[in-house]
Amino acid sequence: MNQEELNNKLAEIKDKLTKIELKSDTRIYLYCEGENSYAVNKFLFEDVPLRFVIATGIDSDDCFEVIYHYSYDQTGCVISLKAFIRDRENPAIESIAPFLPAAEWIEREIHDILGIDFKNHPNMRRLILADDWPDGVYPMRKEVKK
Amino acid sequence: MGAIFKGTREGKGKEMTEALQSLFWILIFPGFLFTTCFGLIASWIVRKVSALVQWRVGPPLLQPFYDVVKLMGKEILVPQDAQRTVFMAAPLVGLAGVLLLSTMLWRITIAPEMLFVGDIIVAFYLMVLPSLALIFGSSASASPHAAVGTSREMKLVMSYELSLVLALIVVIIKTGGQLNLAAIIQQTPALSISGMLAFLVALLCVQAKLGFVPFDIAEAETELGSGVLMEYSGALLAVWKVVQAMLLVALPLFLVMVFLGGFGTSLWAGLLAGIGKYVLILVLLILIKNTNPRVRIDQAMKFFWVYCGIALAVAIILAITGNYYGISWL
Amino acid sequence: MSWKIWSLKKSPWVFHVNTGACNNCDIEIVNLLTPKFDVERFGIKLVGSPRHADALLVTGVVTRQAAPRLQEVYRQTSKPCVVFCMGACACDTGIFRDGYHVVGPVDKIIKEVDPNAIIAYVPGCPPKPEAMISGVVKALSIL
Repeated sequence: MNQEELNNKLAEIKDKLTKIELKSDTRIYLYCEGENSYAVNKFLFEDVPLRFVIATGIDSDDCFEVIYHYSYDQTGCVISLKAFIRDRENPAIESIAPFLPAAEWIEREIHDILGIDFKNHPNMRRLILADDWPDGVYPMRKEVKK
Repeated sequence: MGAIFKGTREGKGKEMTEALQSLFWILIFPGFLFTTCFGLIASWIVRKVSALVQWRVGPPLLQPFYDVVKLMGKEILVPQDAQRTVFMAAPLVGLAGVLLLSTMLWRITIAPEMLFVGDIIVAFYLMVLPSLALIFGSSASASPHAAVGTSREMKLVMSYELSLVLALIVVIIKTGGQLNLAAIIQQTPALSISGMLAFLVALLCVQAKLGFVPFDIAEAETELGSGVLMEYSGALLAVWKVVQAMLLVALPLFLVMVFLGGFGTSLWAGLLAGIGKYVLILVLLILIKNTNPRVRIDQAMKFFWVYCGIALAVAIILAITGNYYGISWL
Repeated sequence: MSWKIWSLKKSPWVFHVNTGACNNCDIEIVNLLTPKFDVERFGIKLVGSPRHADALLVTGVVTRQAAPRLQEVYRQTSKPCVVFCMGACACDTGIFRDGYHVVGPVDKIIKEVDPNAIIAYVPGCPPKPEAMISGVVKALSIL
């Protein structure tokens, strides 16, 4: 389907999103809260369908964000879903690895670096920090100095 | 060498001279010193020709000598779990084997009256010793990389030894069943169909024994890791390099004597002819080395057992019929 | 000058160690060992085991995970040996100075094992193969 049909298809999930932003022809941003991210991801991966590229973790000052990037290869459009996690004390979000095994490692990495807990993750182990790195120190959080 | 054991009293003085003379033959000429220098120069030829084939300059003449001298000056590190005695004795056993082999072959080339019946069998057994010593030394290394290299070297040895024996049997049939090298030198078995087949197969077996591409499966196999010599360092590694250099002299010399008719009878013409034949075999080895990739161990085993085996079976049948009917070119 | 150092200058065998580099320097090192630059004329040969090596070509800023391993590789190199720090990261951590995983440039880690280690520095990001050859030859000539 071309870009028009893609936009219409994405509008189907509008009730779970807080905002849709079309930054350019080939760049779409979808905003949602952390609680809805599982359903929106499932829709994007299975129903549209899109190809999962990577996920990003961000420590904004008042919240955490996990951004999931998808690609629609026929038009070259990249769709990013920003999921906001408002709880800074115990950040948690549902893992999408049960239906998207490709996301398993990137979620392990985000957990190692930012400390976001992914619920129902099938294999949560340390991925990229050294073996003797102290537990509970998440290096990319804003409050951690070198 | 059997002349040392003279028991008579008047032979005592002569015995001492004989012993000193044998020591000279083994250690200086044509034994250790001569073969080592010749072998290191031959390995320089291999490296230089490989460099020229690759359009580059290559190392200076004395580079292999510098390598060996440098290795003698480094410290010897033995892994903690290694079997020390076997680890340190293996290179010396290999050196002893190749030293005796090269001394014997040179003696028979220079003075064919020093033969004894069955010396081709002794030469064949001595040729196995360096490979066997390599297997023992690397399996005493207590390293997983070396263990993989050991198992591959064992499989390779089992593959090419059979082909080498069959090639030698072709030669022995063609020369009428004589088991001494001096008689074999008189004839040129390679100038016949079965002899040429056997020569080509024996050339590839020598390529495998020397550890050259395409059969350098044991040493440079895990070149991304290292090989069967992984845990050796310092003087022990220098001994292995010397063993490889001496094999580079002894094995092509063996091929020259068995297949191409040795060095000939007259002094200067024979010397030139012999050196020419040796250089021919060396150039063939280098060209095969530079134009082929490395094969896997299962491909190597299939090659030696199936293809070389069939070629040699054909060669043996041709040799037997040729010998029976007196046709010399079969 | 002792014969050991003299023969080491004539035939330096190298072993390449990557302690957490971005691979740019590693590509240039592999580039260096191809027939185009022909380092065999100096006697330089790439070996597969640190026990055979005379020179360690170390790239990369040393990460926390790689530090004990680099020390182990240095211990397994038979002395006398030279350590070459290739690239800005190995010389003095380069742009990764404030990274959370960086425990220090290569010479700090090596000197923990052996305070008298011979270390040479080849800066650049990445250093050109010609610069690497020039660095190695210069270092060997003043040994």
